[in-house]
Amino acid sequence: MKSREPGDEDAGLHAGTEQSDLELVRRAQQNERGAFDLLVLKYQHKVIKLVARLLRDPTEAEDVAQEAFVKAYRALGSFRGDSAFYTWLYRIAVNTARNSIASRQRRPLDYEVELSESEQNNVAARLKHDDTPEATALSEEIRQTVNEAIGQLPEDLRTAIVLREIEGLSYEEIATAMDCPVGTVRSRIFRAREAIDRALKPLLD
Amino acid sequence: MTDQIREQLSALLDGELPRDEMGLLMRRLEKDPELRRAFGTYALIGETLRAPGGRIAAPSFAARVSAAIGEAPAIVEKTSTARPPAATVPLPQHVALWKRPIVRTALAASAAVTAVLLFRPDVTPVAQLEVTPANSFAMSASPTPAQSQRLAGYMVAHSQFSTPMVRRNVLSSLLAADPGITRVSYEMGQAP
Repeated sequence: MKSREPGDEDAGLHAGTEQSDLELVRRAQQNERGAFDLLVLKYQHKVIKLVARLLRDPTEAEDVAQEAFVKAYRALGSFRGDSAFYTWLYRIAVNTARNSIASRQRRPLDYEVELSESEQNNVAARLKHDDTPEATALSEEIRQTVNEAIGQLPEDLRTAIVLREIEGLSYEEIATAMDCPVGTVRSRIFRAREAIDRALKPLLD
Repeated sequence: MTDQIREQLSALLDGELPRDEMGLLMRRLEKDPELRRAFGTYALIGETLRAPGGRIAAPSFAARVSAAIGEAPAIVEKTSTARPPAATVPLPQHVALWKRPIVRTALAASAAVTAVLLFRPDVTPVAQLEVTPANSFAMSASPTPAQSQRLAGYMVAHSQFSTPMVRRNVLSSLLAADPGITRVSYEMGQAP
């Protein structure tokens, strides 16, 4: 079994997610652009949070995150699937953020910074305690809306979405825990997401 | 129907969508911005539950990344591809055989070798070759200007399919075919 690596934490990653990402990567490697767009949609918030916490000026987070995604796309041919896609993307994002900081300090680094495992763990640990003051009112409003919407869900939908999103269980594990078919789990998680999506829509439109 | 597609989308996010359902869903996603928006929101919900607070992407972020990447299929650092998860997935049928990299390289190499052999009448079968002293070789005859012109045209027309080494080899033949250069001699330890 593959050991967990920096970037895996709280990623909600399990074998199925990794396999699904690999399938999207494989399609993107065959120049199916829509597949890479989905990977961007899936990881955009996570990458922006990551770089915002690394940069001294978090207002540049989107620009740096965009650069990281573009770099990832251009380097996609070298991704062999030895690690999870997000772990690979995480390293690119950290390197891009560090290069951005260095260039602003007039000490440009033209090379990719290779982080040792301990360095990466330090970064990950620091991120947990170094939440940026740039956390916007919108993200707070989103958090509240999501929590309220989850609170209003019927219990079976709430349990399914919590087991999936917070506990990171697979559909099969949730089906066992809830004593129902996998298809029912899939439907419950979808319906929970739809209900939360409806609550969020006015905020995001 | 829409709910069924969105349920597939939700399963895709969780890595629980069967692979045989993925192709059709991907095609729908490319045409339907609302589906892409929903996928982004589903991801945001999970992210908010797992790690509340912090910045989130602007709604236009993914579109900006897509625009920055551009339309060109520019995966340039291609050394290998991600291994397919379980079973090998064949290339899409619309990718013609000749477009596959290995076939293209093989075709280009064969064509280049054929061209060199065709346009160099002095080429001797390997079995009849004699090792000349001091690593020198001679061209006893030159192709006609028409032949040279054809070879140059061939080079231009096929250079996109050949490797740098093949291009260099053919180019050497082309230079050697120049009427002004009838003999090239190279002595070990001596500048050419």
